[in-house]
Amino acid sequence: MKVFQLSYDVAIVGMGAAGLQAAISSSRKKAKTIVMGRSEDSALHGAEVENYFGVLRATGKELLNIGMEQARSFGAKLLQEDIIEMSSSEGAFRLLSDSGTEIEAKAVVIASGIMRKKLKIPGEKELFGKGVSYCASCDCNFYKGRPVAVIGAGSEAAVSAELMTHYASKVYWVAEEVDASENLREKALNAGAEPVSSPPKEIIGDDKVSALVLEDGSELEVNGVFIELGARSTTDMAMDLGVMPTPDGEINVDKDFSAGVEGVYACGDITGKPWQVAKAAGEGGVAGEMAAKYARGL
Amino acid sequence: MSGNTVTLTDNNFDSFIEGNPLVLVDCWAQWCKPCHMLTPILDELADEMAGKVAIGKLNVDENPGISYRFNISAIPTMLVFKNGVMQEPLVGVRPKEDIKKYLQSKM
Repeated sequence: MKVFQLSYDVAIVGMGAAGLQAAISSSRKKAKTIVMGRSEDSALHGAEVENYFGVLRATGKELLNIGMEQARSFGAKLLQEDIIEMSSSEGAFRLLSDSGTEIEAKAVVIASGIMRKKLKIPGEKELFGKGVSYCASCDCNFYKGRPVAVIGAGSEAAVSAELMTHYASKVYWVAEEVDASENLREKALNAGAEPVSSPPKEIIGDDKVSALVLEDGSELEVNGVFIELGARSTTDMAMDLGVMPTPDGEINVDKDFSAGVEGVYACGDITGKPWQVAKAAGEGGVAGEMAAKYARGL
Repeated sequence: MSGNTVTLTDNNFDSFIEGNPLVLVDCWAQWCKPCHMLTPILDELADEMAGKVAIGKLNVDENPGISYRFNISAIPTMLVFKNGVMQEPLVGVRPKEDIKKYLQSKM
C-alpha cells in the first residue's frame, strides 16, 4: 500500500491572491490546509495595487507577503514548490511536487492563474504546427530521431526536455537561468538534454522549422521547437482529475466555484476575466470555504 | 462521440474526403489531453452542421499513413477539405465559434 507523506483536508494549487485567500478561508473553517506554488510566479507579484478595497496603494509583493503570513497564522501550511502531477482515486486526490513531495487531500482548489504561453519571437506564429509546438506530451511522437529545442526555464520545460530525450535525436534545453527544482533539472540533464543559456531570438524555416537562432548569433539546427514557459500547466493536469478546461485554458465553475468534479474547485484568473485582485480574492474566499466544508463533510 | 462523427482510418480516409463537399478531419491521439478538449466541441458541431459539413476523427497513432501524407507534426490538427482540396488546417484547440466561422467561410 502506498504511504503518502502528507495528508490534508484541502490542497490549494497556486500561491497568488486567489490561492492565499482560499487558504485563509479554508483554514478558518478548521480544515487542515496546504497551499502550494511559488508566490513570485503570481501575476500579482510584480504589480502595483491601487484598485483593491481597503488598500490605498501597495505592491503586489507586500500583499502576497501579508497574505502568506495570514494563511500561516490560521494554521495553513505553505509549500513553495510547483505541482507537476495530479490524480484521483477513491475520493482522494494525490498531488506530486517538483521536489518529489507527495500530498494527499480530500479536496483540491485550483488557483494557479493563467500562464503566459507565447514567446513572441519571429517565426513562432508562422511556424506553429509546422515544427513549433506548445505541448511536448502531445507532439513528442512526431519528432522521433530528429533534433529539437525546448524553450523555458521552469518545471514545464524541465519535464518536456526530459520527455523529448526519449524521442528526439538531440534535445537542446534553452533557458537563460533554470528555475525548475534541482530534482527536475537533474532528471532532464541526466537524460541527455543539452543546456543552452543564450535566449532565443528567431525560429526559421520555410514550410517547416529548420533552425532556432539565438541572441548570441549561434544557430541550433532543429526540426522542432517546443515552447514550454513557466510552471507545469495546471489546466493540463486538471484534466487528469476529470476537469474539462475551455479551449482558452480556463476552468468553468458554478456559483460554489466547483469545477464540475466532486471535490475540485477553481478560483482566480483561471476562471476567466477580469484578471483583478478583487475578483481573485473574492473567488478564493468562497472556493476555500466550500472546499473546507466538502472535505469536512459539513 | 456524436452519431454524426465518423471514425476514419488510413483505408476509408480518401473515400470520405471524396464523398463529401466539405470535410473536417480531427487528427488526434488517446494520450493527447488537449485533443480530448476538442472532442465535445466537434461532436456538437457535427450535430449542428449535419448535412453541411462532414466531420471525421482520425487516430494518428493507429493511422500513420495519413499523418505522414499530410505532414502532421502537432495534435490536435483539424484538416479541412473543400471538394477534395485541402484548405488551411486549424492547429491546436480552438473555441467552437472560431471553428464554426471557419467552416462557414468555406461553404
